[in-house]
Amino acid sequence: MSGLRPAGPEDAILGVAPRSVVEPASVDEAVEAMQACARDRLRVAFAGGGTLLGLGAAPTGLDVLLRTRRLDRVVDHAPSDQIVVAEAGLTLDALQRALAQHGQRLALDPPFGARATVGGIVAANAFGPRRTRFGTARDLIIGVTLVRADGVRATGGGRVVKNVAGFDLPRLLVGSLGTLGLIVTVTFRLHPLPEAAATLVLSRPAASKVRALVRSLRDAQVEPTSTLLLAEGGALRLGVRFEGFGPGVRQQGERLAALASAAGLACEWLDEAGAASFWARHDAVRTGGPVRVRLAAPPSALEPVLRDAVAPLGEALSGGGAVLDPLVGCGFASGAPADAAAAVARLLSARQALVALGGSLVLEAAPPEVRARVDAWGPPPPALDLMRRLKARLDPEGRLAPGRFVGGI
Amino acid sequence: MPEPHADATTQELARRMAAVVGEANCVSDPGGLSVYECDGLSHGRVRPRLVVLPASTEEVVEVVRLARAAGVPIVPRGSGTGLSGGARPTPGCVVVALSRMKRVLEVNLEDGWVRVEPGVINLDVTRAVAGRGWYYAPDPSSQSICSIGGNVAENSGGAHCLKYGFTVNHVLAARVVLDGGEVVDLGGAAPDTPGYDLLAALVGSEGLLGVVTEVTLRLLRRPEATRTVLATFPSSDEAGAAVSGIIAAGILPAAIEMMDTLAIQAAKAATGLAWPDQGSLLLMDVDGPLAEVEHTARRAIEIARQAGATQVSVPRDEAERQLMWKGRKSAFAAVGRISPNYMVEDGVIPRSEIARVLREIGRMAAEAGLRVANVFHAGDGNLHPLVLYDARNPGEEERASRLGGDILRLCVKLGGSITGEHGVGAEKAAYMAEMFTPDDLETMALVRCAFDPETRFNPDKVFPTPRLCGEQPGPYRPHPAEAAGLAERW
Repeated sequence: MSGLRPAGPEDAILGVAPRSVVEPASVDEAVEAMQACARDRLRVAFAGGGTLLGLGAAPTGLDVLLRTRRLDRVVDHAPSDQIVVAEAGLTLDALQRALAQHGQRLALDPPFGARATVGGIVAANAFGPRRTRFGTARDLIIGVTLVRADGVRATGGGRVVKNVAGFDLPRLLVGSLGTLGLIVTVTFRLHPLPEAAATLVLSRPAASKVRALVRSLRDAQVEPTSTLLLAEGGALRLGVRFEGFGPGVRQQGERLAALASAAGLACEWLDEAGAASFWARHDAVRTGGPVRVRLAAPPSALEPVLRDAVAPLGEALSGGGAVLDPLVGCGFASGAPADAAAAVARLLSARQALVALGGSLVLEAAPPEVRARVDAWGPPPPALDLMRRLKARLDPEGRLAPGRFVGGI
Repeated sequence: MPEPHADATTQELARRMAAVVGEANCVSDPGGLSVYECDGLSHGRVRPRLVVLPASTEEVVEVVRLARAAGVPIVPRGSGTGLSGGARPTPGCVVVALSRMKRVLEVNLEDGWVRVEPGVINLDVTRAVAGRGWYYAPDPSSQSICSIGGNVAENSGGAHCLKYGFTVNHVLAARVVLDGGEVVDLGGAAPDTPGYDLLAALVGSEGLLGVVTEVTLRLLRRPEATRTVLATFPSSDEAGAAVSGIIAAGILPAAIEMMDTLAIQAAKAATGLAWPDQGSLLLMDVDGPLAEVEHTARRAIEIARQAGATQVSVPRDEAERQLMWKGRKSAFAAVGRISPNYMVEDGVIPRSEIARVLREIGRMAAEAGLRVANVFHAGDGNLHPLVLYDARNPGEEERASRLGGDILRLCVKLGGSITGEHGVGAEKAAYMAEMFTPDDLETMALVRCAFDPETRFNPDKVFPTPRLCGEQPGPYRPHPAEAAGLAERW
């Protein structure tokens, strides 16, 4: 295989070091590299910006790390069709800069945009606070080119938003963590950059009142692009962002302010700098420490989630906090464990509570002593057998990111 | 009862199926079977071996087991409104019709979802929650008769998917019966179930992966306001420019529909609407919070005028709005008034190519000596050319079919798709190879084989060449003794 170099300690995934690293500079080189791995039956994992290599379990073994960072081109941006084709290693920030020149954006905003790559975002199903309105990569991806374990290049989806020809390979790859194939290019639908935006923050709602507040928000028929409950040091703040045209943003902001007033809550309409700092705080809180977890539960379970997951995790993890989207039912918690055993106990009980509610707790990062006692994914999903069958069809030798995914896939 | 001369396998299978679903729900007589010979695409009829109408997941499991034991293919079917032959029977198959499974099982407005059986009609989902201000967003034109199970199979869209997305964006969970009789739950009421997004593979799989027996659908709050704008233009060039201008202005309408002269004439004949006879027409909805909607509707009207709109009108009331939409939604059927026969095509092009493609379609139609009416979802470039022909004229149907195929090839050439919402089914399987490479198709087939290794479900659809899954026994061939009725395979 050309371009192979010996691996260093920085190439390890969760402590498992590959022997070699390859950094293809083109899709053709990536195909060659994958063919070489297939020929030599090498176990291979993929890395983009490396911001979520802690998601999932450690690989059971690794021969090659394929880094996508040299696959960093915007292949095609068609502003009038609102689509972009990008190579997997392009960073989110670089993509957004290119799109902004045409007044457009990809409506995905996970943290670490300077390093996070589009391929990594898709593979790890990374998302940010705009999920409230725009969903995840699943809702924005319209095409993908992948290289299979056997080195075969295949494309699914297309370049148009509306398309039902064939099976949905693009969405199937979202969140697959490099276990089904190497993503080499991704095609996304785009949205216009908003003309106006407003962020309002409601301070210190009681946990017991938040659910009613969220319900009244929904009944007010507003369309926020983000709703975010920020839990830090035992106190809650609810941030709501509206984006669109001036009159609509203003009216929706006023409506929210009226709701807050009716609920007896202080409501602050943030200026541009204040809004930027609030949303930056979101990123900091969800990534604030060596332990980072994803939380999910039905939206109506907000109170038990706050009581049985967010509060106990907050006690065991310092320096971080939690963020929750109360309309979607997803969130993150983070922090530094003062005592590993206590953190483990709280993580396990929080997971138990979330699973009982129909949700989940998944590790995004954790030190080895925590990982040793907290499974990365939690109880296997009911469709695990089918997932194994899918993996066996696409990667029959189990060479792609072995052991990283649910149920040891 | 099966025909007296039906082969022994069929008779025995019918007896066993009837024991599961009840005599009345196992159709084996020629008259009863003939109802199921096709779906919304009425040519290429195939009579199934049997039709069974199970009433529960448990019955579906038993039906699948019996079919598997008999080595018989299964074709799942919803309301049979599909336009690509997706529910057309495969020779010798059992059609599993889900129309008896039509209960709304659970409504949870706190979490914004409804759990239904697959036979529930699309519009009935909205009806179940409309009184409380909620609705189900995907709105295929057939929504008053098509079923949720069929929508899941086809990943149905509709006029309003421009803003709200397709069925795949609105399915939270599904229960599916696989070939082995296993019942698998995919997705859930909480987001981000760990594991592969198999739900994404299932939605739009056209009945090739299993039989869906329950679906949890996301519901939305009704938007506060909707503004409808109807604009007419001298030609499709100006109308296409208006669509591009509206999108470029950062407006995301709920829907933008376009009709050309022939389609307008047909809709007028059917509804009596006072639309102009010439040119092209745009029908647009913007919805959302009131101030946002008023602002965007105003901007869109300005842009339409700048693009050369000859007339812009806004409905006086909801009744008039409904009539305008009726004109659009009834356009397919209305074309029947201006032509003895027509074929509905469904292709997608990049939105920016609309005007050019319409001119090209006009040129191709003239060359073929046929007329084409265009009704389509302009916002997402989803064309529905209606190729008009008269089957009584020798050779005209073939010419129409060829023209339809040429239009699809044009879509692919421009970077579009051979289907935006009607599915590949039986009708377009041959075109898949024009859009995808053999490697692309093989990769999709691997996904299929993970679900259905014996390709039991809807075996002749979607893929251009029949294929088997590796490492699996070949297709079932009856033993001579069995074929002669001397033995059974149970």
